[in-house]
Amino acid sequence: MVSPEDIRLRIEEAFPGALVTVADSTGAGDHFEVRVRAAEFAGRPLVEQHRLVYGALGPLMSRIHALALQTETPQEARG
Amino acid sequence: MNDVMAEIEQEIRENRVVLYMKGTPAFPMCGFSAAAVKLLKEVGVPFKAIDVLAEPEKREAIKQYSSWPTIPQLYVGGKFVGGSDILREMHARGEFVPLVRQAAGAS
Repeated sequence: MVSPEDIRLRIEEAFPGALVTVADSTGAGDHFEVRVRAAEFAGRPLVEQHRLVYGALGPLMSRIHALALQTETPQEARG
Repeated sequence: MNDVMAEIEQEIRENRVVLYMKGTPAFPMCGFSAAAVKLLKEVGVPFKAIDVLAEPEKREAIKQYSSWPTIPQLYVGGKFVGGSDILREMHARGEFVPLVRQAAGAS
């Protein structure tokens, strides 16, 4: 079982200063909804943004059954 | 594994719109796959669906093929587009319909 905290810490480590929210959708520790707002995403296509997050999660990914992911840049958040 | 990779390449080359999913369009076995099917049906383009649950080797191979760890995966015009979150986001931005319609029409 993975905790939302495990996921948040991993992502924050990879993207210092990012705004990260993680919700455990079912309470069972295997379905999560994750939102990441990070400056590193600027100028990168969505596919690359998601790849960066999956990469940051590394081995955790294989322990998560479902991950709904939303990424944005700080600029998009203001717009 | 190489045979499976070759098969994937062929599927993606020979079909303008290909969805690797869990289950079938009639009986998706996962909410994310179901969402991708629903979107493609809304857009109304023909697509080839490949059930990775029926082909365990392909389930792993397709993840390596695009360095993408999750399923579903959509390929349009020979290129990887994304998973269900990306499709939803592209659709919200109005980018998805032109992309698939153009590819489907170009076949």
